[in-house]
Amino acid sequence: MAESEEEVDVLVQRVVKDINNAFKRNPNIDEIGLIPCPEVRYNRSPIVLVENKLGVESWCVKFLLPYVHNKLLLYKQRKQWLDREALVDITCTLLLLNPDFTTAWNVRKELLQCGVLNPEKDLYLVKLALSKHPKSPETWIHRRWVLQWLQKECSPSEQELKDHAEPREDAARRQCERLQRALQEEMRVCADAAGRYPSNYNAWSHRIWVLQNMAKGNLKVLHDELSSTRLWVSMHVSDHSGFHYRQHLLKALARELSQVGETELHPTKQPNGESTAGASDDNHHNDVIPQLFHEEMELCTDLIESYPGHETLWCHRRHVFYLWHQWRREHLQGAGSQSPPLTHTDVLLSEEPCDDSSTSQTMDVDCVLDGSKHGSYTQDTKRLKRGPLLPHPALPSEHTFVSKILTGCRSTEQNRFAIAYRKWLDSVIGQ
Amino acid sequence: MKLYSLSVLYKGSTKANLLKAAYDLSSFSFFQRSSVQEFMTFTSALIVERSALGSRASIKEQEYLCHVYVRNDNLGGVVIADSEYPSRVCFTLLDKVLDEFSRQVNSIDWPSGSPATIQYTALDSHLARYQNPREADAMTKVQAELDETKIILHNTMESLLERGEKLDDLVQKSEHLGNQSKAFYKTARKQNSCCEIM
Repeated sequence: MAESEEEVDVLVQRVVKDINNAFKRNPNIDEIGLIPCPEVRYNRSPIVLVENKLGVESWCVKFLLPYVHNKLLLYKQRKQWLDREALVDITCTLLLLNPDFTTAWNVRKELLQCGVLNPEKDLYLVKLALSKHPKSPETWIHRRWVLQWLQKECSPSEQELKDHAEPREDAARRQCERLQRALQEEMRVCADAAGRYPSNYNAWSHRIWVLQNMAKGNLKVLHDELSSTRLWVSMHVSDHSGFHYRQHLLKALARELSQVGETELHPTKQPNGESTAGASDDNHHNDVIPQLFHEEMELCTDLIESYPGHETLWCHRRHVFYLWHQWRREHLQGAGSQSPPLTHTDVLLSEEPCDDSSTSQTMDVDCVLDGSKHGSYTQDTKRLKRGPLLPHPALPSEHTFVSKILTGCRSTEQNRFAIAYRKWLDSVIGQ
Repeated sequence: MKLYSLSVLYKGSTKANLLKAAYDLSSFSFFQRSSVQEFMTFTSALIVERSALGSRASIKEQEYLCHVYVRNDNLGGVVIADSEYPSRVCFTLLDKVLDEFSRQVNSIDWPSGSPATIQYTALDSHLARYQNPREADAMTKVQAELDETKIILHNTMESLLERGEKLDDLVQKSEHLGNQSKAFYKTARKQNSCCEIM
């Protein structure tokens, strides 16, 4: 079937126009897809619009893609001129078919920079492209470029969500609200893409980038993310990237909360956006972090027991336990009065509730602990009076956990992972 | 952790007859859903046809796990899930569904039944509820009941077939699959779906 160049040209013009019209007719299109349809049908439009889904029949792609691709390249090489509207339409068509085409995204960057294109439009195009290609690295990169560009253009000064030292004008509040909405939108885009492809590294990396560059370490956002991803990871137990995100959150929270603690020790300026930290108790931040780790280990335990044989969960356990181990180490070496009496709490394993009589026993079950005995008695009794102590993850409790898994275990993989974990505990943590 | 389809079939002497099915295709891209559904029907029927009476099996095919239970009275059920979904819960679900089905639908109607004629409406709600395996069923109870050693494991669909039989041929001949699905199958087989453009 030989197609003349004019036929292809006519077809392509028509397809590009049809796509453009589809968007005009329905601004709520939320997904694009390829319709498997091998028969060539010149007379009919290959563009299908059903509900909010835009489909392209597969037969036209082999004509459309090389043609449009070529046209754009000729433009970039200055061999053929395209007006701005044509550029917008052509890049849109190209990117919906093949979003990994960097040149097309870059043309759109240029259009953005000279004010022809609305950045919101590009964010929308990215979202659509991701519905078909949830991993596409170039697409995520472009999204970050647009977000950064928007940040620069829309905020004259650096916007710190933490910094609510004194009441601001309405403009600042609106800025804040806009940022909140933007954050939510980014999390939604990431979650959608993560759901469309298992262990979608690019989607989760983008999510981390958003935390670092848009939320800028805001504690509330970090806490919210921890709670909102909990269910997701529980339903995606072999998604490494999802669990890695939680590891990142824990690390970030531990770092931010520790800094808050230090500010409280040496108060220069009271940060009062930190509703979660609670400034009243000087030990409070030291409680929050262990609690976070404890909860994460509990989640991990629950999932390992419910869904045997998923290596991701065991990897997650290693990461979390290691982070906890590191944090505890760093904070033991800090000022004596601030450090939690870890030797004592390590003795209180998950099986036993807190017990006054065991204060005298400071078993050095963990080789790494050294200076914790000093001055910890008064802290111990103070803590006991405050309420039930959280059993913190520790080497003995981890060994108990592994034994428990091995005795009830009917899955060969689970067996293997448990044994490997024990080996890791002994060689890395136990030293 | 997803369930994609839940089907009840009758294992006839030469082929399996679909009685009722429920699907959750929300995680597939919109325009693929009708093909995916046809393939799930095709697969479920093929599995029941090639499974012995009184057997339970799990068949792995790409990133899917198909779990089947064919009872001694020729009633069969197939669950198609992803690889995260715990297989034990699938077998509990199959037991439950087939039991309920056999009490609600007279066995006289099984050999010649079809989704249009069979009066059994609970399949959709079962599928929806079991999307979260923990809400649907107490896992500990499940673990005690099922003897896993009796479940046959297949690493591919191919291992269900007779010597010399090819899956491609069965696809081409199948009445469950429309032309579009057959074409889709052809192109999908040739490509690495990771880098899919076409």
